[in-house]
Amino acid sequence: MSAPIPSRERILGRVRSATNSVAKAHGELEDAYAELPREYVRAGRLSDEGRLELMINRLREYDAEVVECAPDELPAAIAEKLEASGKHRFVAPPGAPTAWLIPSAWEITGFEWNIDHGLTAAEIEQAEGVVTGAFCGIADSGTIVLHHSSTEGRRVLTLLPDWHLCILRASQVVETLPEYFRRCEQAPVLATYISGPSATADIEMTRIKGVHGPRFLHVIMVRD
Amino acid sequence: MSEGVYHPVLDPALAPPFPKAVLPVLRNPQLRKNVAHAIDVIQAKRGRLVAEKTDWQELRSAGAAIRTHALENLGTYLEQFEERCTAAGGTVHWAGDAAEARQIILNLLREEKASEVIKIKTMTSAEIQLNPFLEAAGVRTYETDLAEIILQLGEDEPSHIVVPALHVNRAQVREIFARRMGLKDLSDDPHALTAAARNYLRRKFLDIPTAISGANFLVAETGAVAVVESEGNGRMCLTLPRTMITLAGIEKVLPRFQDLEVMLQVLARSATGERMNPYTSIWTGVTPGDGPQRFHVVLLDNGRTSILAKTTERQTLRCIRCAACMNGCPVYRQTGGHAYGSVYPGPIGAILTPQLMQMHHAQTLPFASSLCGACYEVCPVKINIPEVLLELRSQVVDQERREAVRFFDPMYLGLRIANVIFAKAWLFHAAQFFGRIGLGLFTRKDGWIHSLPSVGAKWTQTRDLRGLPQQTFHGWWATRAAKPSGEAR
Repeated sequence: MSAPIPSRERILGRVRSATNSVAKAHGELEDAYAELPREYVRAGRLSDEGRLELMINRLREYDAEVVECAPDELPAAIAEKLEASGKHRFVAPPGAPTAWLIPSAWEITGFEWNIDHGLTAAEIEQAEGVVTGAFCGIADSGTIVLHHSSTEGRRVLTLLPDWHLCILRASQVVETLPEYFRRCEQAPVLATYISGPSATADIEMTRIKGVHGPRFLHVIMVRD
Repeated sequence: MSEGVYHPVLDPALAPPFPKAVLPVLRNPQLRKNVAHAIDVIQAKRGRLVAEKTDWQELRSAGAAIRTHALENLGTYLEQFEERCTAAGGTVHWAGDAAEARQIILNLLREEKASEVIKIKTMTSAEIQLNPFLEAAGVRTYETDLAEIILQLGEDEPSHIVVPALHVNRAQVREIFARRMGLKDLSDDPHALTAAARNYLRRKFLDIPTAISGANFLVAETGAVAVVESEGNGRMCLTLPRTMITLAGIEKVLPRFQDLEVMLQVLARSATGERMNPYTSIWTGVTPGDGPQRFHVVLLDNGRTSILAKTTERQTLRCIRCAACMNGCPVYRQTGGHAYGSVYPGPIGAILTPQLMQMHHAQTLPFASSLCGACYEVCPVKINIPEVLLELRSQVVDQERREAVRFFDPMYLGLRIANVIFAKAWLFHAAQFFGRIGLGLFTRKDGWIHSLPSVGAKWTQTRDLRGLPQQTFHGWWATRAAKPSGEAR
């Protein structure tokens, strides 16, 4: 084993002696933490309509394409998106409802689905698009939060395909980032926050879409 | 840089002092133009997004308080992070200094039999000069952030901590990519250049099984690590390889997961002028079936505990590496980053670098500031950089005046003499008398001194000096008191 134990003890010893006069005793640490000032905005101020409108506007500012639909219109909305994409090979997470997997529910031919029951990276790389759900949407920054559950898929699934269709329910959208943290009953083991498609401004601060992650982000907002 | 007349040195132990290092930059109009353009764009975006945030000052206060609390209780939170990360399947290593961190990482790579490694941009890795060390040991390193690729292929050095290649323009990028990727017909359109980088890296992401990252935050409560990025190269490195090695300074710990609700709000706005960076990844140890199945964290001290021990200087460690201070700094805007002789340039570099060097190197950096306070005003965790600059300046002076070689240094000699003269009124008056005679020799008819010999030239080569007036204030006051009021002349 390469980690020499003396370094650990030496560093922690130095940390302890450096903070000796300010560190809280174990029993007081929780209270000290609880007293930290948190006077920033922690709850949204918009109406339900306003919140959704903000989310959709933010997503559009990121060049994401957004459509809205009622719950019973979802399969049709998905079918329309898939057709418009001009793509044929799609992947989906194992928990994706069968209604999403057009044409299993609709008689449209030409779509090939690969469900991720342990696909290799090379197989996912072959896919042209991916359809997933999400954990949460944050309107203030137009962020889509994935906790990588069985409907959101493994991290690699929303990374390699160039085209990502995300299905977000209106009830999942919060206005501010702190409200998302309130929604987490416990901290996620894995999480990815997506705010617009992959981008860089490394060359003369010119924003270029699509460096390594998906270049095209589509969102279907389900009015539930 | 390819056509550059000099190669920047970012090892503080070897870099020339700031006033000297800055000269080649000031004589390079292209570089200054590139830097100023980039800074203006970021500043404008940041300004708009901070202005729309009605609770910006409250967020800053919370950010400062959380970081201060984490640092003051760092021992507890580090142990908690280690325990939770280990329980989640990660392995935590501790490195006292740069050499130890490099060796730990090399040993891990050897265990993996890795001859190549892909990297997410990490300034901490640049701090410990990891790439040249690994290359010398036979491990090829591939940077995957676009700016880092530009620098790596162009054999250049970072000049900014968020946008490391902001001093390079599109024509220069085209030249580097065309030459190093063998793409003769490449255009200088940023879209084409970005596509070239995507193609260059795509196979490497899929084929190289070992990756190295930094960390934006470590979460003590859960043992999680957070990395923020824009391009998706980070997600590639965090998802596809078999083994991930994360190098993080010990100061990166946050107490709880929910603290990210503050940090993520201030970080992207401060760093790139975005409401949120395109991708934030959070992972905890090892997750079966998802991402690297072997995960190591190397916690690096490398001078941080000595900063932690000092009351005024401790705030330096609150830094979340957003670069708002360098973007707002009038000195950085003129010089760019290379003159700072460190991977950490700008105001935060001016206080961090000499301290990480335990005040043995980079002593000119605390003086590379006008103390205007713009850095403090924009800092999202309220680091009072001017206060630390002043503290370090006094340490540098204390250090220098104890050095035997400086005994006859004109400045220290002059100050010692002044110390004696200012203590006695009669000596002071005598000095004024002789000063008037002495300086009178150099004073022109217009009352100004245009050139002085020796040390005095340091002043007069860039500006004129007013000659001493014929009458002192004391002298004038005495004559005024002797006359009736209203006739003070």
